[in-house]
Amino acid sequence: MTSILPIARHEWRQLVRSRVAVIGLVLVILLSIVAAATAAAHREANADIRARFQATADQRFDDQPARHPHRVVHYGHFVFRPLPALAAFDPGVDSFTGNMIYLEGHRQNSANFGDVRQSSLLARFGLLTPAFVLQLLAPLVMIFVAFGIVARDRDSGTLRQSLTLGVPAGRLLAGKLAAVGSIAGLLLLPAAVTLGWLVVGEGAAPLPAAALLGGYAAYLLIWAVAIVAVSAFAKQARTALLALLAVWTATAVLLPRVAPTVALGAAPLPTRLENDIGIQRDLRAMGDSHDPNDPFFTAFRERTLERYGVARVEDLPVNYRGLLAVEGERMTSSLFDRYAERQFAREREQAATAGLISLLSPTMAMQRLSMAVAGTDLEGHRRFLSQAEAYRYDIVQRLNRMQAEALTYSDDSNRNRDIGAAQRVRIDPDNWRAVPDFAYRAATTTEKLHAALPSALVLGGWLLLGSILFRMAVRHVTRGNA
Amino acid sequence: MTVWAHELRLLVRQRIAVGALILMTLLSAASVWAGLAEIARQHAAIERIQPQQAEDEAAIARWVSVEGDAGNAAYYSFHATWDAPSAFAFAALGQRDVAPYVLRVRALGLEGQLQESENYNAELALPGRFDWAFVLIYLAPLLLIALLHDLRSGEREMNRAVMLQAVAQSPGTLWARRIVLRAGFLAAALIMPFIVGATLSGAGLTGSLAMIAAALAYLTFWTLLCLMIARQGRASVTNAATLAASWLVLTLILPALALVVINGAIPVRQGVELTLAQRENVHAGWDRPKDATMQAFFREYPEWRNTPPIEGGFHWKWYYAFQHMGDVSVRPQVAAYRAGLEARACWTQRLGWLLPAVGVQSLLHRQARTDLSAQLAYQDRIRAFHHRLRRYYYPYVFNETPFRQADFANAPRWEQD
Repeated sequence: MTSILPIARHEWRQLVRSRVAVIGLVLVILLSIVAAATAAAHREANADIRARFQATADQRFDDQPARHPHRVVHYGHFVFRPLPALAAFDPGVDSFTGNMIYLEGHRQNSANFGDVRQSSLLARFGLLTPAFVLQLLAPLVMIFVAFGIVARDRDSGTLRQSLTLGVPAGRLLAGKLAAVGSIAGLLLLPAAVTLGWLVVGEGAAPLPAAALLGGYAAYLLIWAVAIVAVSAFAKQARTALLALLAVWTATAVLLPRVAPTVALGAAPLPTRLENDIGIQRDLRAMGDSHDPNDPFFTAFRERTLERYGVARVEDLPVNYRGLLAVEGERMTSSLFDRYAERQFAREREQAATAGLISLLSPTMAMQRLSMAVAGTDLEGHRRFLSQAEAYRYDIVQRLNRMQAEALTYSDDSNRNRDIGAAQRVRIDPDNWRAVPDFAYRAATTTEKLHAALPSALVLGGWLLLGSILFRMAVRHVTRGNA
Repeated sequence: MTVWAHELRLLVRQRIAVGALILMTLLSAASVWAGLAEIARQHAAIERIQPQQAEDEAAIARWVSVEGDAGNAAYYSFHATWDAPSAFAFAALGQRDVAPYVLRVRALGLEGQLQESENYNAELALPGRFDWAFVLIYLAPLLLIALLHDLRSGEREMNRAVMLQAVAQSPGTLWARRIVLRAGFLAAALIMPFIVGATLSGAGLTGSLAMIAAALAYLTFWTLLCLMIARQGRASVTNAATLAASWLVLTLILPALALVVINGAIPVRQGVELTLAQRENVHAGWDRPKDATMQAFFREYPEWRNTPPIEGGFHWKWYYAFQHMGDVSVRPQVAAYRAGLEARACWTQRLGWLLPAVGVQSLLHRQARTDLSAQLAYQDRIRAFHHRLRRYYYPYVFNETPFRQADFANAPRWEQD
């Protein structure tokens, strides 16, 4: 250990002697500061505006005048997906998913207004965030700075010199690795400060923030090992550079784009339109509410009459129309859930295919880990969709029950003919205020870390592979390939 | 001719050069194949929905035509629209993975319906798709750099440059020949698969030539940049590093910075605002005096002014009138939203004059009709179709004419372009 440090110090001085390297490093560090600032501002602005829109929507729902409860079912509600604090570090799929859903009776609307559809194609070049800088740019800068760390010494003959002076190859390479690692540390510094600030200032959970930092440290260490090893194997500095650039292009640029193509080809998703039609078809198969002699609805009426021990719906103590509404919503919602589950299962199947491909690319594994820990992965969006649907079902059924209990059957049936009945079916606005507001439950720290585990294992595997590669490089240099 | 043949022999002997050319061919071919497969999937989806849609319409017609209430017909009938991919879409898939290309609308308020999203896997959309435009914009420059970075410096490092310059009749032509040969082969490797794809998808000649021209212009830019760097007379390794750094700045860093600037300078929250406002205005229709709604509606559609007045608590006329007035009430927000989106697209295009990667991306996706403008154009066609739908249903609703089986069959149908 004692002799690694001086080597590292020496290498470090060598690396920063190159003006190009220093400029590159400084630029990327500046860029990560800019990225951290803009991503934080972007998150704050978005979180603010969503919170404001949500407050307006809640207010408007509560402020409704006296209305027929079914009118309120169609007036509906809006919910917005809140942004987790760590989205300022890695916004993940946030811009690629809608963040607002209109909730109403009998229909399940999509989440709308994702940034990607509101941006030009420029959005497809990538978003400038701390995660983007660390995942893509940091390894590339490390390559530029350090591709010649062994190969250049070999070109100039100093490598042979050091070995003949009796420095063991293992120490020598370890010292060089420490130098490249310290560059990685330098690149990680702005990210560490950002994460620290998010924990202290913005209330981000400390454990996920630490996990992010640890994940990125491991990721950059994998690159550091790869750079030193490739540089040790390459006959010339130029070969090392080209080989490293090829590896970077393949794993950080090409594979992440190939994966969706493969995953979508293997398991395509049905369009929303097909799901819509399918839900209508299944609903007709369950029972046709427009047919007065439909067996399903006839049976429902018989059951209801029997339960209350009366002969006609007019004699029921509750409003039969309200009961029908409750039953109808139960049917459609069960279909919504079934189709949503099918869709989620398909998406998870696609993610599994992409996960298989991410075995080949530490960058992909890092991206998945980062989104999962930040709470901005697709699973987070699915949580939002499921909770929004559960909330929709809850408020619609509350309103349907109000229709069943607070209105009489005869008023409800005559509301378009009789002005008195039309007045009586409008129930007190206090009822709207009694409906609870939407409260999104984000993933817990345990859930986030659990979701990140597979990707963490992939990165661990790469570290292991890296250490084997490093040992091979040491043997290569020891055997006189200087 | 023999000098060219000689140069070709030299080229074939270089492992990096041959590898780069084979890789370019494979990547380009794979991207074209993937693009064609995706387009075939989109066509298949459009085909697949037709019988399902017909079955859905028939089921609604069966029960509605019994009573013949036109209000029910318009309320329950969803009409399918679709936006088939252009013959060039295979090369630049663009926004078609996140914007709907099939959408059902009905004769109620339209603006909310237009904003519906498609089901797509956002995690797969995030990195972008592997299509020909991607291979051209990101990968072709890198391979070009691999081919050209050591053109002069490589000979110099092998101590052959002086000899070559002395032997050649005109040294300028010698280097030009080498560059043309290398860049030319790379361009051919990139473009041949595109031509095959364009032929298979039946793309027009003019459009194909325009896309090829854009690709060639982009490759020319990178070739010139390689030459400029090479002229500095530094070592091969320095050239490669400088060029790769330029690539990083021009295709990753500057576009990402530009997006931050453009989206920051042109905020578009009108989308959410207009959705909230439209819902508010439509539902206020229930509480407003019916006559006020009808008078406002008659100002838009005077031809229905003299139809029978509304009696009782509910009439479909009034319902469709306030649905439409909901759309009318948000016209300013719709226009502002639209203007914001167009401004974003417009500034991106302007930026294309400065950043070649952005410029060629804009050109390709415009030609392929897969950009933001294409998405807005589809929405415009849906608006026109929705107008036809309303015009079709209004006479039945306002004159209280029964709506029968034959009337379902005669309803307006979506036509592609």
